[in-house]
Amino acid sequence: MSNYFNTLPLREQLNQLGVCDFMDSSEFLDGVNALKGKKLVVVGCGAQGLNQGLNLRDSGLNVAYALRKEAIEGKRDSWKNATENNFTVGTYEELIPTADVVINLTPDKQHTAVVNAVMPLMKQGATLSYSHGFNIVEEGMQVRKDLTVIMVAPKCPGSEVRAEYLRGFGVPTLIAVHPENDPEGKGLAQAKAYCVGTGGHKAGVLNSSFVAEVKSDLMGEQTILCGLLQTGSILSFDKMIEKGIDAGYASKLVQYGVEVITEALKHGGVTGMMDRLSNPAKIKAFEISEELKNIMRPLFEKHQDDIMSGEFSRTMMADWAAGDKNLLAWRAATGETAFEKTPAGNVKIGEQEYFDNALLMVAFVRAGVELAFETMVEAGIKPESAYYESLHETPLIANTIARKKLFEMNRVISDTAEYGCYLFDHACKPLLADFMRSVDADLIGKNYNEGKDGSVDNRTLIAVNEVIRTHPVEVIGAKLRKAMTAMKSIKTA
Amino acid sequence: MSQPVVHISKLNLKYHHTVVFQDLDWVIQPNQNWLLCGTSGSGKTSLAKAIAGLSNTDGTLDLHFDPASTRPALAYYVANWYQFKDLEGQSNFYYQQRYNSQAEQTVATVQAELESFGKAQGLQFIEALRIAEALAYTELLPSSMIELSSGEHKKLQLVKAVWLAPQLLILDQPYNGLDTLSRKRLNTLLEEISVKGTQLILISNDAELPAVIDRVAEIREGKIQEVTFEQRSRNEMAHSGKAVPSFLKTAPAGTAPEHIIKMIDVNIRYGEKQVLKDINWEVKPGEKWLLQGHNGSGKSTLLSLICGDHPQAYANNYYLFGNKRGSGESIWEIKQRIGLISPELHWYFDPTATVWQSIASGFYDSSGLFCDPGATKKAQTDQVLDYFGLQEYKNVLMTELPLGKQRLALLARTVIKNPQLLILDEPCQGLDQQQTQHFNQLVDELSSHGTTLIYVGHFESQLPACIEKRILLENGWVKSVETILESA
Repeated sequence: MSNYFNTLPLREQLNQLGVCDFMDSSEFLDGVNALKGKKLVVVGCGAQGLNQGLNLRDSGLNVAYALRKEAIEGKRDSWKNATENNFTVGTYEELIPTADVVINLTPDKQHTAVVNAVMPLMKQGATLSYSHGFNIVEEGMQVRKDLTVIMVAPKCPGSEVRAEYLRGFGVPTLIAVHPENDPEGKGLAQAKAYCVGTGGHKAGVLNSSFVAEVKSDLMGEQTILCGLLQTGSILSFDKMIEKGIDAGYASKLVQYGVEVITEALKHGGVTGMMDRLSNPAKIKAFEISEELKNIMRPLFEKHQDDIMSGEFSRTMMADWAAGDKNLLAWRAATGETAFEKTPAGNVKIGEQEYFDNALLMVAFVRAGVELAFETMVEAGIKPESAYYESLHETPLIANTIARKKLFEMNRVISDTAEYGCYLFDHACKPLLADFMRSVDADLIGKNYNEGKDGSVDNRTLIAVNEVIRTHPVEVIGAKLRKAMTAMKSIKTA
Repeated sequence: MSQPVVHISKLNLKYHHTVVFQDLDWVIQPNQNWLLCGTSGSGKTSLAKAIAGLSNTDGTLDLHFDPASTRPALAYYVANWYQFKDLEGQSNFYYQQRYNSQAEQTVATVQAELESFGKAQGLQFIEALRIAEALAYTELLPSSMIELSSGEHKKLQLVKAVWLAPQLLILDQPYNGLDTLSRKRLNTLLEEISVKGTQLILISNDAELPAVIDRVAEIREGKIQEVTFEQRSRNEMAHSGKAVPSFLKTAPAGTAPEHIIKMIDVNIRYGEKQVLKDINWEVKPGEKWLLQGHNGSGKSTLLSLICGDHPQAYANNYYLFGNKRGSGESIWEIKQRIGLISPELHWYFDPTATVWQSIASGFYDSSGLFCDPGATKKAQTDQVLDYFGLQEYKNVLMTELPLGKQRLALLARTVIKNPQLLILDEPCQGLDQQQTQHFNQLVDELSSHGTTLIYVGHFESQLPACIEKRILLENGWVKSVETILESA
């Protein structure tokens, strides 16, 4: 198999990277009809597999689970999840031949093996569904020509997919049809019906392509979402220790600070986040985030270039072949960092204090979001896709850090994201060494406003606000958040 | 003369920018046991939390404990809502999650929870077992916390409180969700610890209180007044006294099947634990049922099957509204025909929805409002809002209201679509007797137009008049089915 993207002519590469349509709710009026009465067989029953299946069944669809023989005989967790919720469970041989739609919800790393196993068993004209395009785009999986290949990717953890559905809502979802595998032209209708079945249609759906999803998803997770949050957390913590701030306080400020700060981002974009700072602090955060952008831009570009050329997936797959040697070593090293090993102190930190005493982290988030977005758009990814894979997901990942620090973040995200995160982190920390030497505790650990009278120069403030508010991520963000809040009005009330 | 146990002077407190107390004074002497009253929103919970040191107030609030007492020298507050966390310290559970089986268990068992509480407080576990026994709770010790019903969570809080038996124990609506027998047993336990040196402050709307409660304080306009039991102020009505909106005075829309519910040998088990056993039950259109049983008898699980909330629905044989369950219908098609209120629904309801949005969300069976309801439904929402006397809270977030007011908004949500089937699972928790009576009158009115009713309530004296039939569960079995009122 060879990298699918690299087999395409430039014209077609650009064409597929540019598929991006934020769908109107009227596109979903047909409900689940395109899948009604069809047999859906989910492969894999982890968090995504189980919760998507529960939703699809509660939407009136016929759902069963195909598991490997060893998982069934060993009564593994996937088998328990499926049987205890009263789903039909069988082996690939038993269930795949009867399936109209096979939904592959196994981890990325297993995709080649899984698809090679199920494809020969699939009936003529059936549909194969993915929730991530890595296997198709980077590994170049060739799917039988009579089969339709679609993607439905809820942009949230599996438990959220279930929780939001039961509230009568859903989570934002990305759908796609693989242009090489849509022989009957039914792919989009089925992807939309699937999306209705999981509740995603109520929370905003982006019609994308396998290529755009993979190239933007990899970029987002490696840089702003995981890589930079990891680097920023560790550097911020270490700086506070160096400056004599109490370790428990420092640990708590970072662990929960990323969540509180990015909560402002979720509601009001970069503008909303920066506006939580006092005027002098905002100007300072602006200045250092500009500096950070200058320093880190080449690294962001390198990540995007390696993702586009296939170099990133090549090296990662080499590590898979080597039994995850690098991944496991890097994971262990992360567990040994001082930040990870220092428990959050039993000290109360007010909501505003997380901004005032962590100006550096605000600057990291602004620099990372804008850089990731800019770099993706420069590489041909549409602003809507770039927004989802940068700003939109940052608070979701920050939430995992608040739960149990970097260990939890790296546990929840895919191995692919984790691998890319470490690559970024290891390159980024040395890059920022000089910059970090210039940082004092007023930027992280102490209130920046202390001892200042709060006055600013009007023209400077206006110029700074102008740059922040007119950034393209803010322009597209305002539009997308509006479309989402029209449906989810209470969340911004 | 001994010092007062609680000495409050010039206490001030604001709740979401509203002044709750202004210069409040209250003195509690040793050996006194108080009932704390006040209408919904008068600040009972806020004052209780302040005494227990759980909120910031200004003014004087001194506690003096008896150094000679063997009881722990602290004021312990038992909240009206339960709260629990998983093993990772998270509490973000979702509606009806307890029915979704997930192999990876991250929630402690009841026994482990009690053991860790006992260890932290330096208590003897043998004593917890005695209390659990008295509250008929022993069987639940191996259960996971996520599996508990609301009444069972309430009992866990109470076991802890009675076990700790601090010098000052503050119980906020402790009877919510408890069956009649459990209430009696709780009172006995409270009387026991009172004798051994625990003073009580009780917040409750109930009539049957522990005999040791001998003083009554009421919060009126931000100040404490001592009153007699008879002088307690009543809440305003559960509704405004206005006429029932006309759109609710018609027969519910939708075709009437032969059976609303028909269950044939329904069984639910989790591993070794059988929760429902061979349930056979038919509910015909227009029938008014009372569903009863002790805490843990299987009532909530039975209702979850009817509301589309239980995954094991797909392995059982039953019909809802004439359709076999699991024959290609969506749970939203089922919910569309049901108006539901239950402790779980309230517990997991979106706290960031406004009162108006919460009521309107009843049209869509969602927790919070996610779409524009359009002119007709908006007008109907306004009418129901008005009928329940919630006009002035229209744009207030649920989280900013006391539980009693939240409950009224959710009752309005329950009836708004004039559903074919009303499922009222302890609908009047947190309301006083007069509010309950008024709500039950509305239920009588609604059901006179053909609505089918399933009502769960522990008290015979607080039921709608229209109830005709009763199904009694015991340990997951149908113990009896009887007609208590011949329909006209």
